[in-house]
Amino acid sequence: MERELTPSESLKLIETMISQAKQSFHRQSFYFLLWGALLIAAMIFNYVMAMQGSPIGSYGWAVVGMVGGLLSWWRGAREAKHQHVHTMMDRMIAWLWAGFLATLFITMLGSGISGDPMNVGAIIVLTGLPTFLTGQLMRFKPLILGGILFWVLGAISFFVDMRAVALLYIVAMFFGYLVPGYLLKRQEDGLRTA
Amino acid sequence: MAFAPLDPLLHNQLRLAIVSLLVGVDSADFNFLLEKTSATRGNLSVQITKLKDAGYVTVKKTFKDNYPNTSCSLSAKGLKAFEAYVKAIKVYLGTGED
Repeated sequence: MERELTPSESLKLIETMISQAKQSFHRQSFYFLLWGALLIAAMIFNYVMAMQGSPIGSYGWAVVGMVGGLLSWWRGAREAKHQHVHTMMDRMIAWLWAGFLATLFITMLGSGISGDPMNVGAIIVLTGLPTFLTGQLMRFKPLILGGILFWVLGAISFFVDMRAVALLYIVAMFFGYLVPGYLLKRQEDGLRTA
Repeated sequence: MAFAPLDPLLHNQLRLAIVSLLVGVDSADFNFLLEKTSATRGNLSVQITKLKDAGYVTVKKTFKDNYPNTSCSLSAKGLKAFEAYVKAIKVYLGTGED
């Protein structure tokens, strides 16, 4: 690789290398599949317990939060060991979701302590933001549509009864997290990832 | 039309490839650059050192899983030189401003 370059060869080399670097992103599909499945399970558990008049349904969210948090941490640590490149996009996506989790945690904790439970519709609407932005950053349409779906179904959730809210939540998680997560996994499997 | 001289440090296939890869990322380790450039370990190491000595690239040596790990990132000086280089070759090609 030592011979003299012509200007057009230089430009071509620059374009090729920049495009190579762009393809080096980290796998994100695991998190969407994991959290989609866990949150759907928690909502089903919560709903079934509520129908039986049991107060333990809300504990499902805490269990899911801990299990999901631990598995996400384990996966993140494992991936970091094999990480050969750090991109601004990966950093932005990581901080976006960390910021979202902090917002959600503070809001839910505050509403729990004050005895003014947070509307599930508000949670669905809030979830739309990081999903939509992640889709835009990655230029991945299923996540963009998933984010929009969270906003639409979240808005509807303010005006329906608890049974319908539970169903809307499950539908939102299925089409907002699980389906884009599966499609993303297929795309990631087909590309070289860093 | 006056042609600006091309930066001799960047007007080299491997060094230009390294800098072009680093332009699009926060940082990249030695193995990533090795894979993308298809260079030999020795040559890559020499060219990274040249870029580092010129202040174009920042090199951080750490340990990852008990193995030495070299991480490279483009410095502000390196980015400025890269932008000037791209502008200069565009002038050569007649697609940029003089």
